[in-house]
Amino acid sequence: MKLTDACVYPFPVGDSSVRRFALEARSFGYDSIVAADTPGAEVCGITVLPGIFLAGIPAKDVQSRAKKSRGTGAVVAVQVGDNGFVRAIAGTNGVHILRGIHTADKRAFDHVAAKIAADNNTALDIDLSLLISCRGHLRQKAIRRYLDLMILYRRFEFPLTISSSAQSVLGMRAVREVTGLCSLFGMDETDVQAALAGVSRVTEPGESIVKVIK
Amino acid sequence: MSIRPPTLREKRRYLLARIDPAGANIDAKDLYYAMYEAVVSLFGDVAAAAMQPSVLSVENGYVILRCRRGAEREFAIALSTLFACRDSTVALRVLAVSGTIESLRERIQTLVPQEPDVLAQEGTGEESPDAGTSGYRFGTTVVEAVAWHSHKVDVIEKGFKNTRRLFLTTEDLEKIHATTIPDGL
Repeated sequence: MKLTDACVYPFPVGDSSVRRFALEARSFGYDSIVAADTPGAEVCGITVLPGIFLAGIPAKDVQSRAKKSRGTGAVVAVQVGDNGFVRAIAGTNGVHILRGIHTADKRAFDHVAAKIAADNNTALDIDLSLLISCRGHLRQKAIRRYLDLMILYRRFEFPLTISSSAQSVLGMRAVREVTGLCSLFGMDETDVQAALAGVSRVTEPGESIVKVIK
Repeated sequence: MSIRPPTLREKRRYLLARIDPAGANIDAKDLYYAMYEAVVSLFGDVAAAAMQPSVLSVENGYVILRCRRGAEREFAIALSTLFACRDSTVALRVLAVSGTIESLRERIQTLVPQEPDVLAQEGTGEESPDAGTSGYRFGTTVVEAVAWHSHKVDVIEKGFKNTRRLFLTTEDLEKIHATTIPDGL
């Protein structure tokens, strides 16, 4: 089980290099990180996975981008939009993670989208940067969304991922701290471990849902 | 009010946390306000009052904090939401929880010194090869090392503008030798 931070932004977006992120990730107890717009590599024993983060583009473009990135080993994450968009994207082959559930409408991710995500092995991302850097109603809104998400997660068991969305190594949090933060919306240690392993679950091809019996 | 006998005193727990980035000059009072704001904004006034959080001392890049026994888990969660102290970005990494301050002080002695910038500038530390002797370059940017800890290097961009702190490693840096001929000459 590989523990992965599902999103970091290294230099030039952030102020830390990929190598530094990898060093810090190792000291924080991670096995891999997903770095935006960075080629895949193995740094200091940490697997750096290339991340493609798509936001604000129509579903058709997302599908074509996902198709292009197939076989490259990149982790494709898409910013959540309205309900129709989420349902279309959750069922798209090649899209691994749906991000930004806290910014979307309350009904954007409903039970139908949850079922589609579970069937297509598409993960929902929990962004911890909001819990860390936001205060007041923004953080309350994020916690409320994550509480809703956990209800659907318990019912449909779609994959979850956890990301720090750190633009600096100062924004990263250790696995123990992540466990504490996730306990704010009802995740226990087992859930957190499963969520941190969510990236490897969605990127590595699993067993087929339909088994052919000869 | 007289001091209570030991059996009637409230039990406390002490937390040792490392202040990141290394070499950050943080005032204990400022850290107290930042910490208290983090606790209150996450758990509210009632929980903060019950938790009784406080900053005891800031020494060698580490901070010793105090809370009531039984609240250390919530306190650690609140500390992980601390991201700024006054105008500077900081992070507190909780390293240990103890029942006595003394044991945490002993723990600090065993830890690596958290003021590597001094070593780097003086060139006396084992972990700062060639530090302070010449400039470095990260990509096309000329930078100056301010903290050097094992493979981790914190640098500041040289220039009038955009002198932000960058977090790099030794492999990211390229040393500028005195004999280096600038491009175009």
